[in-house]
Amino acid sequence: MVKKKYLLSFTPAIVNEPITYKMIKEYDLLVNILRAEVSERGGRLLIEVEGKPSQMNKGISFLKDAGVEVRELNEYVNRDEDRCTNCGACLSICPADAFEMDKQTWKVLFKGDRCIACGLCIDTCPPRAMKLRIW
Amino acid sequence: MTRTYEEINEKIKKGDVVVMTAEEVIKVVESQGLESATKEVDVVTTGTFGAMCSSGAFLNFGHSEPPIKMQKVWLNGVPAYTGLAAVDAYIGATELKENGDLDYGGAHVIEELIAGKPVYLRATAYGTDCYPRRSIETYISLKTINQAYLYNPRNAYQNYAVATNSSDTTLFTYMGKLLPNYGNATFSSAGQLSPLLKDPLCRTIGIGTRIFIGGAKGFVAWEGTQYNTTVPTKNGVPLRPGRTLAVIGDMKEMSTEFIRALYFHRYGVSLAVGIGVPIPILDQEVMKFASLSDKDLFAPVLDYSLQSRNRKPLKEVSYAELRSGSIELFGKKVRTSSLSSYYKARVIAEKLKKMIEEGEFLISRPVQPLPEERSFKPLDIRSKEEV
Ligand code: SF4
Ligand code: SF4
Repeated sequence: MVKKKYLLSFTPAIVNEPITYKMIKEYDLLVNILRAEVSERGGRLLIEVEGKPSQMNKGISFLKDAGVEVRELNEYVNRDEDRCTNCGACLSICPADAFEMDKQTWKVLFKGDRCIACGLCIDTCPPRAMKLRIW
Repeated sequence: MTRTYEEINEKIKKGDVVVMTAEEVIKVVESQGLESATKEVDVVTTGTFGAMCSSGAFLNFGHSEPPIKMQKVWLNGVPAYTGLAAVDAYIGATELKENGDLDYGGAHVIEELIAGKPVYLRATAYGTDCYPRRSIETYISLKTINQAYLYNPRNAYQNYAVATNSSDTTLFTYMGKLLPNYGNATFSSAGQLSPLLKDPLCRTIGIGTRIFIGGAKGFVAWEGTQYNTTVPTKNGVPLRPGRTLAVIGDMKEMSTEFIRALYFHRYGVSLAVGIGVPIPILDQEVMKFASLSDKDLFAPVLDYSLQSRNRKPLKEVSYAELRSGSIELFGKKVRTSSLSSYYKARVIAEKLKKMIEEGEFLISRPVQPLPEERSFKPLDIRSKEEV
């Protein structure tokens, strides 16, 4: 089993079709929706997918064939280490506990793999160390 | 036992001084007792690094050819105050760029200057017989201008509030983002490392005290604005925002490691300033306070959704609780966030310790103590007769 995050972009024309549902069903994948947004420019879905690598590849090809733009996400946000002052303002904001205070060094650790791409840390960080990678 | 400033400085010069950070000394007092620790340790170093809005820089640009008496000045589009002499200006950390955005201001200009970057200067003038020029546009840097020094009217607050939010909408404040329904709580003090909490009566900190500021050696210039001695105490330490310091230091010696522009979303710009103050251990009482730990230091929790200066604290919590990651409010666990960097506070206290040990930093006796009594006055709407 592997776990990956993808950003899917739907054009307005295909927003109404249950494409994601079909992918889940056909390819036996576990999908967790992290973020969804629909606007006049179409829809965007941030998902975390878990499943067998072969199934995952097939599922993603299916999406692409259906006209969905797919981007694999390694990180949604990243931290500018030079700008981060290790204050900890982000700690009580992040719903996914992606930040952790190391009580030995008092440095704030950023665990990007826990991020669910809510974006809350971006405008929380006073020295503006958290940067949006995409979206 | 007692110790004088002169004795300590002699030891510094000889390389015999014993310096500990405020964090280290807590353990020493715990293990060997107050009396023996007082005998052993000459100086305790403190540090803090957090948002200090009341900051700014005096700049002298030098004279142009032909000369100009600057009436209005902008640095990277941020207005600086020029109601001084011809080419002097004061740029306030929270002044905003004149384009409507809240996210670039004086603090950024100050940080960029300290980083050695070029800053765009624009000035206008009305023209006089001796200063005929009416406008100038040029670039300046810390290298090209005569002086640049921080003069911060209110820094290093002795204690501060813990902010939370009882309302059902998110609040954007100078204490950061406050989630609805007591969703989080933010605080801003280095607690057991914080200068004025470790010398709560300012027995050793006064006008002329040499300090670490922004990476440079600077001084306490005056009492800070809003200096307040009339607050309740616990363990002899103020439980509310109390004393403050006005500080001064040469920007040309500073580093962006200890000066950082901040932007608080939907609030505005501020400047994070790193300050370290050495506390000479003159006697056991000074040591007693210097060795108080986060367990002994308390801050009031205030509801920032009440827009009044008369907010009553919901509760008092220790810095040990605040630093544990959560506090309890009305039986609920509320996550806490620090806005000041304990990591940097520690770096500063360590650095100051090293500077003293290596003989680079002497302790100074205050030229004049800070006020023993000073109250904090509100601004009310009054008639001419009432004032
Ligand atoms: S709020 Fe920003 S500067 Fe502070 S610890 Fe988090 S990422 Fe670092
Ligand atoms: S984007 Fe959201 S989940 Fe990810 S680190 Fe920032 S606050 Fe946490």
